[in-house]
Amino acid sequence: MTALLDIKDLRVTFNTRYGEVTALDSVALHVNAGETLGIVGESGCGKSITALAAMGLIPMPPGRIAGGSIQLEGEELTTASEARLRKLRGREIAMIFQEPMTSLNPVFTVGQQIAEAIRLHQNVSATQAFRDAVALLDRVGIPSAAERARDYPHQLSGGMRQRVMIAMAVSCRPKVLIADEPTTALDVTVQAQIFDLLNEIQRDFGVAIILITHDMGAVSEMADRVAVMYAGRVVEQSTADNVLDMPQHPYARGLIDCIPALGKGETELKEIPGVVPPLHLLGAGCAFADRCTLKNARCETEKPLLLNHGHHLAACHAVEEGRR
Amino acid sequence: MSNMTDHSAESPALEAWRMFRRNIPALFGVAILALIIVLTLYGQLFYDGDAFDVVWAPHEGPGVTPEFPLGTDYLGRDIVAGLLTGGGPTLAVGGAAALITMIIGISMGALAGYYGGWVDNLLMRVTEFFQVLPALLFAMVLVTLFSPSLWTIAIAIGVVSWPQTARLTRAEFLKIKELEYVTAARAIGARNSRIIWKVILPNAMPPLIVSATLTIGVAILFEAGLSFLGLGDPNVMSWGLMIGANREYILDAWWPVTFPGLAIFFTVFAVSLIGDGLNDAFNPKLRER
Repeated sequence: MTALLDIKDLRVTFNTRYGEVTALDSVALHVNAGETLGIVGESGCGKSITALAAMGLIPMPPGRIAGGSIQLEGEELTTASEARLRKLRGREIAMIFQEPMTSLNPVFTVGQQIAEAIRLHQNVSATQAFRDAVALLDRVGIPSAAERARDYPHQLSGGMRQRVMIAMAVSCRPKVLIADEPTTALDVTVQAQIFDLLNEIQRDFGVAIILITHDMGAVSEMADRVAVMYAGRVVEQSTADNVLDMPQHPYARGLIDCIPALGKGETELKEIPGVVPPLHLLGAGCAFADRCTLKNARCETEKPLLLNHGHHLAACHAVEEGRR
Repeated sequence: MSNMTDHSAESPALEAWRMFRRNIPALFGVAILALIIVLTLYGQLFYDGDAFDVVWAPHEGPGVTPEFPLGTDYLGRDIVAGLLTGGGPTLAVGGAAALITMIIGISMGALAGYYGGWVDNLLMRVTEFFQVLPALLFAMVLVTLFSPSLWTIAIAIGVVSWPQTARLTRAEFLKIKELEYVTAARAIGARNSRIIWKVILPNAMPPLIVSATLTIGVAILFEAGLSFLGLGDPNVMSWGLMIGANREYILDAWWPVTFPGLAIFFTVFAVSLIGDGLNDAFNPKLRER
């Protein structure tokens, strides 16, 4: 069976003052109907660029899709016209953003905004669209939805606003929903509610979710499969259980070791030494080599490929060679 | 649950109005402007007299004859009648010119700021071309080329004063187009035209409304200046025309020039007070929550 959204060998570059910088390289990801794919990694590893690329929202220029393909139900998106992409956005593939505070337009009521989103893709009257908007607000768990629909974004709390964003994103029943760190700006208690809501929405609407996060807890709760990204590449991919329980790539292992376990009495927090290298300084070797405890001469000179190692896809020479 | 949200707050526009209402000088400006508008619209219903009719001896001082409380001009025309009749065209030209300024300025600035790149370069070079021309001279040339009428004057003023609005609009667009709700609008499939006019522009309006108000004041002064130089429509009484026609006799009779001058002063003053009030009302830093 073909995947719903299939990204193959994607390469995205940006023109910067350092010259052309490769933000994504050989990215291969797919998500099937109704499943949740988690994409994890540190800031600047290319998670959000991957999401924007799938939406066709990479600013060009300075950005450029330099190679590879993105297919939605077999339809190529990298070469699609802007008019076609506009039709797909919202209707087939939708997105919710990190900051619910700033991703709603402050001068319109939330009901108006959802109704407008509905009317972009469906031929319904304004009153009907507003009625649908109220129903959606009710669906995403907003109490007294009819009244809240007449509120402006600044009158709602962060959690409420993120619910509004979710209502807007699913208003046209998209097949793929990309959630770019949907809970980063929210309180922990609210985070759990939003994840519950996303799970519910997925069950009811049968939507595939791509969850972009750096929160391993969120991944374990939500994701069926996980892709770990580092410096613009996918370095490990497998089922969520596999990645969480027996990560292969040293970076994935490092990420999971960094999660402090409650009640284990750990006195020191673990970390991965060093930082993600600036993209314009990436050399010929593995991008993680400088921070890796397992590196050898080959890691400095040759980029590892994403290869199948039993249950895992991993891009690491050490895994390949069985070094531990 | 309902106490989580603040229901006293209303739409951003209503909130701004609430701020504005507490601004005494701005309300004073509204009162003056309202009075002037009412007088120019309805004054002639209660005060007989054609502004162009010679009704009395020339240069009759104010208060000398009860029939003509502000006196007469060098031809013996009634000054009160001139003020009441001349206000309408003055205000109309000011308003129309401000409207034209906003239409050209917002369109140019919005397209330049939103699209960037070569569109921005092209439109901004055009804007700069208009900006470096001496405004009054350019307006004079335009009015002379096309015979002076209220419309040509309004258009000439609009054509020379839009660059400032264009630059302000462009700056607002450059700032707002980077915000997340613009990306979010694109992510639900909104087209560019919709993002420009229905997403970004409403958010860019506060400074533009302030600028529009101040433009009305500037346009009224412009109209007065053109009329003063003899480039106004000679068939329509306006405050500028009154000053222009009587300026040669200012040493013999101060009143035919002074009263229309005061009328212009109070109108522009009122408009500026309102503009300042709007500026404060839209400024979130001055707004208490």
